[in-house]
Amino acid sequence: MLLEVRDLYVEFRTRDGVAKAVNGVSYGVDAGETLAVLGESGSGKSVTAQAVMGILDVPPGRIAGGEILFQGRDLLKLREEERRKVRGAEMAMIFQDALSSLNPVLTVGDQLGEMFVVHRGMSRKDARAKAVELMDRVRIPAAKERVRQYPHQFSGGMRQRIMIAMALALEPALIIADEPTTALDVTVQAQVMDLLAELQREYAMGLILITHDLGVVADVADRIAVMYAGRIVESAPVHDIYKAPAHPYTRGLLDSIPRLDQKGQELYAIKGLPPNLMDIPQGCAFHPRCPMARDVCRTDVPPLNEVGEVRGSACHFWRECLNG
Amino acid sequence: MAEEAEAILEVGGLVKHYPLTQGVLFRKEVGSVRAVDGVDFTLRRGETLGIVGESGCGKSTVARMLVNLERPTAGAIRYKGEDITRLSGRALKAVRRNIQMVFQDPYTSLNPRMTVGDIIGEPYEIHPEAAPRGERRKRVRELLDVVGLNPEHINRYPHQFSGGQRQRIGIARGLALRPEVIVADEPVSALDVSVQSQVINLMDRLQSEFDLSYVFIAHDLSIVRHISDRVGVMYLGRIVEIGTDTEIYDHPTHPYTQALLSAVPVPDPEARAHRERIILTGDVPSPTNIPSGCRFRTRCWKARERCAQEVPTLAVPLHLGDPAGPAAHDSACHFAEAVSFGRSAPGQTVLPEPTP
Repeated sequence: MLLEVRDLYVEFRTRDGVAKAVNGVSYGVDAGETLAVLGESGSGKSVTAQAVMGILDVPPGRIAGGEILFQGRDLLKLREEERRKVRGAEMAMIFQDALSSLNPVLTVGDQLGEMFVVHRGMSRKDARAKAVELMDRVRIPAAKERVRQYPHQFSGGMRQRIMIAMALALEPALIIADEPTTALDVTVQAQVMDLLAELQREYAMGLILITHDLGVVADVADRIAVMYAGRIVESAPVHDIYKAPAHPYTRGLLDSIPRLDQKGQELYAIKGLPPNLMDIPQGCAFHPRCPMARDVCRTDVPPLNEVGEVRGSACHFWRECLNG
Repeated sequence: MAEEAEAILEVGGLVKHYPLTQGVLFRKEVGSVRAVDGVDFTLRRGETLGIVGESGCGKSTVARMLVNLERPTAGAIRYKGEDITRLSGRALKAVRRNIQMVFQDPYTSLNPRMTVGDIIGEPYEIHPEAAPRGERRKRVRELLDVVGLNPEHINRYPHQFSGGQRQRIGIARGLALRPEVIVADEPVSALDVSVQSQVINLMDRLQSEFDLSYVFIAHDLSIVRHISDRVGVMYLGRIVEIGTDTEIYDHPTHPYTQALLSAVPVPDPEARAHRERIILTGDVPSPTNIPSGCRFRTRCWKARERCAQEVPTLAVPLHLGDPAGPAAHDSACHFAEAVSFGRSAPGQTVLPEPTP
């Protein structure tokens, strides 16, 4: 396993109390595999990724428990200098909003080249040549001229390509993409997703794709981990989950997609609101919104039950859910 | 839906150009942003017209002109036959009462210093004839109840509500004056998936309850299909194709619509294999410098000589045969072609039955 997150807990101390953002998350990614982490805002999907990358805001954030094993080493036990060598070189992250992730006062060439200057000790001239090469890789037209331009001179799709180029620069083993296409238009989103998938295959990288879009997941992922209130509620190969979800939350999400045969009828809606992380419900966090909830759900936190060999569901009644 | 219903809004030749100027003391015009560049459509009573398009296509500018937040450079918007772009003063105010808007971002479209009661009741301050002063508080409570919020929360502030609840507040404000038309600009795109369908259902219910006509602007194609009777597709300031939801989604004839539909990721891994995708190259051209002829030609794989010279009109393509068939709807392409979208069309997916 390339990356293995084990029983991770992250919390944020705020004026109003402790927000429990991640509550015992475990997942793994192999080389060449794409894991989609699906969840709504506040589900802890981005915070988990930030903990893996080591870019969590500490304080107010705090890792309250767990291990993050990357190529066998526990990243949480490394000193900050060692961690920095891993970050960027061995694992890299692509953010949602390319415009605010790029430095507006440096040319894109300088920002791409910086990777090679800092991590590989290259000269500025060599780094510039590398930057042009990378921009070619992600198919930015006229890379030689555009390397001297600033981020604002690029369109949204082109900026996201620059982010991808930057993440790929040192050929990392793992890429974490946090909503990489959410800010882009549909036609451009398809271009960027295709590019990302192609490069991943070429370099046999592990890819963690964080998203809320069930369509994007179905298109590119091998496995899915569905998160709710800081826990993984279901984890399965992509085909299985769409065919027969084993958790009522996953089922609810799939059922809320408008379908042709339901035109003119009410859309299925999960009732209620996502929980407040300062006050997560007792027992199963989903029980106040769950159509299947019974007494045991109000008291006992369901473990991630094994559903066959490669699936897990954190529902007391996963069998019933699986059978519809 | 009701083809014979009366037209409530008729938009003709709508244009909005923003001048680009240079110099401080001697401002001179050096060009213009052609945000909306000739849009025509009709909205009938009780109907939902969906407008889809990518960012910068002018769909929000159209919305703002419909509610008179923006004055068109040219063209007409007829509300029950009367051109509202020429109205001012009292007459304009009366029309505005009947055309209300719901905004995209429930976080910035509500004043954080006002209570929910004041926000929803504010339209009555502007249109005092809509409700007598003593009645207003009661009306606001009723509205809160109608949109599914607790009427007891009338004195709370926006920050005490979640995103979905705030959007309900925005909808209640839009309803306060009992308008006939609601223009909703991306009303659910800022919301989480599980909350989106709650708000869509609410809008659906309110439509029949209050006999509303909707102009529903969004970029999520499957949601637009669910709620709309007719759909218009915009590209760079113009409608390139318009028709019923089935005509647009299952029988698109304009290459841009075809590319747009095929690019949407479909939540069905089975469709991955037999999905034919058209991936467009390049980006949308700048609206300051619109290509000659057909504005889509720079990204179109079908573009020929004629496309650069002749602007295609939005009309039923005659060469497609069968005038009663689903491909016979307005499409602005010289080489419009009927294709049939199978299960890969957005909103088309029928999930397989769960297997035990």
